[in-house]
Amino acid sequence: MRFIISLALKNLSRYKRRTIITAVAIAVGLMMYIVVDSILLGAEFESMRNLRWYETASARIMHPDYWEDRLMRPLDISIEDPYTIVDSLRKEGIAAAPRTMFSADLILYSEDFGEDGHMPVQVTAVDPELDNSVFRFEDTLIEGRFVESGTNELVIGSWFAEDIGAKVGYWVTLVTRGNGGFYEAMDMQIVGIVNCPNPNVNRTLLMVPIDTIGDYLAMEGAATEINITLPESAKIAEEVARIQQLLDPNGNNLLVVSWDDLARDYVALAEAKRGGTGMILFLVFIIAAVGISNTMLMAIYERIRELGMMRALGMNDRSIQLAFMVEAGGIGLIGSTIGVLLGIAINFYMVNVGIDFGLLMRDMDMGYRIQSSFRGTWNPSTIITAFFFGSILSMLVAWIPTRRALKMDIPSCLRHQ
Amino acid sequence: MYRSNNMKIRMMAIVMVALVSIATVGAMSAEDIVRQMDALETFDTSYAEGEIVTTDRFGVKTSTFRSWSRGAYDSLIEFTSVAERGQKVLRTEGELYLFYPDAEELIRLQGAALRQSMLGSDISYEDMTGEKDTLSQYDVKLVGNERISGRDCYILEFSAKTRTVAYPMQKVWVDTGTYMVWKGEFSTKAGRLLKEMAVLETMTVDNRTLPKITKISDKMKRDSATEMRLSRLDIDVDLDPVIFTLQNLTW
Repeated sequence: MRFIISLALKNLSRYKRRTIITAVAIAVGLMMYIVVDSILLGAEFESMRNLRWYETASARIMHPDYWEDRLMRPLDISIEDPYTIVDSLRKEGIAAAPRTMFSADLILYSEDFGEDGHMPVQVTAVDPELDNSVFRFEDTLIEGRFVESGTNELVIGSWFAEDIGAKVGYWVTLVTRGNGGFYEAMDMQIVGIVNCPNPNVNRTLLMVPIDTIGDYLAMEGAATEINITLPESAKIAEEVARIQQLLDPNGNNLLVVSWDDLARDYVALAEAKRGGTGMILFLVFIIAAVGISNTMLMAIYERIRELGMMRALGMNDRSIQLAFMVEAGGIGLIGSTIGVLLGIAINFYMVNVGIDFGLLMRDMDMGYRIQSSFRGTWNPSTIITAFFFGSILSMLVAWIPTRRALKMDIPSCLRHQ
Repeated sequence: MYRSNNMKIRMMAIVMVALVSIATVGAMSAEDIVRQMDALETFDTSYAEGEIVTTDRFGVKTSTFRSWSRGAYDSLIEFTSVAERGQKVLRTEGELYLFYPDAEELIRLQGAALRQSMLGSDISYEDMTGEKDTLSQYDVKLVGNERISGRDCYILEFSAKTRTVAYPMQKVWVDTGTYMVWKGEFSTKAGRLLKEMAVLETMTVDNRTLPKITKISDKMKRDSATEMRLSRLDIDVDLDPVIFTLQNLTW
């Protein structure tokens, strides 16, 4: 056995060029597999995180009827006394903040924007003191400041601001229907622009103070929803059930909905994408497998004469087969090691820096909640799988042609071109 | 002498009649005017054909329609223009349904959905099919008189009693003779003008003077206006009760 291993290692060092070329083919295939898996998994992970951080929070409390009609943003189906609930949740160590969502017509004036215009928008009324304890907008401000309570101030998403040519200091009017159905028109001054990593929010965000909106729209202290943030490690379903139990004994007819139910459309899309991701990885796997197989087959076939010589000198078939497989396994090991190291090196960059698809994401909606840089993530199981896959596949693809060559008679092997 | 007395009596009688007439007109309260105004716009049954011309910054769009109404609550509008052919809006008491023939889909609108614009116009579904009981929804005040389109008009100011009406403040110009509304201004509670309505042309149907062409302008959106043009209006016609049923809507 020692002789066979020694022979295999000698062959590896004797045919350096062949060893290097074959190992590089294996390495490139495995590196691709590791990096593609990292990017796809990273995109999904970051998307879901950005969804929770900027759109849905971890969970949301609302009136059960509001959940049914949520697309119409009805103001009359609301939580009557949101701050009592927020306080009781905070006593339980749960960060919560009320919000009121409503639809409006955004009216733009030529004095500021160069031409008059209007468009339908969704407006988010927030409590400036509490909202940043649930959502993560505090680091996203790129110009101006956040809204203050009791003011006619508005913060806008950076892509939305670019689209309409808005700047800090400009005035707009929001025309909407108040609680009950009456029309109301509110003049608002843009005081800040945020650029958050969630493109959906960046495209549409209009944030105003909840108390100002409450006065205009006759909300009488009510809010349409209370958003809750939970630790990243929390089991959301269990926490949602616990919060529901906390609310129920107090006679609150309220519903707690987890973020994945709130973003059901996105989650369904993500699941569909996961199927696509699996297909992409499978294709990368096939490419790597074909590359490895091809180079190993070439390596074995060009050595059939050598194999015939070994048989002529009296080496038995089993030992020859074993020697060739150990040699192939050695090439696979070298290739896999290089591939995994390259994959880890590139993934290190992908995890920390990523690839900036900002220009692409600006003008198209791929469903991902990622604004610019696609970052990778560490997936040890893929790295380990890739390593063993590279080594074992090399041995397997060496086994077939070696076995075929061993079925030939020795003169045929020696005459093989 | 007798002739002179007779003349005096006749003169006094004329003056008395004139004074009584003036006093009667002067005594007409804002509420009475509103009742007359509502009565003018409410029919036992009616059938109308016309078009809605919507103008905005993208251009002009014309949608033609036929409509049937019964009493204050029941109405059916069917669009006949190519783009919307077969779309129907049915209103019965407290209910509003839309039917889209291409999708063969029946949608019940309620709550906030009623406030959506109809075919992109300045008219919402609730505007189109709204109930006409102004006094239950508004306090009204007579604030003066003015001539509009060559007609004497009362100027009435309405302030909403509830939050469930679209326009918290309204100012309307009502014809002193026909009680038709010539002009209306619709505002927020703070008095900010949102929409303006003006009757451009009238028609006489069954001894009533009614709007033939009405223009509604959204004052918040420059270059946005909607004209409702009636080409035919029949009042108190025989209508099959089936018209106002859901079964009819999907046929």
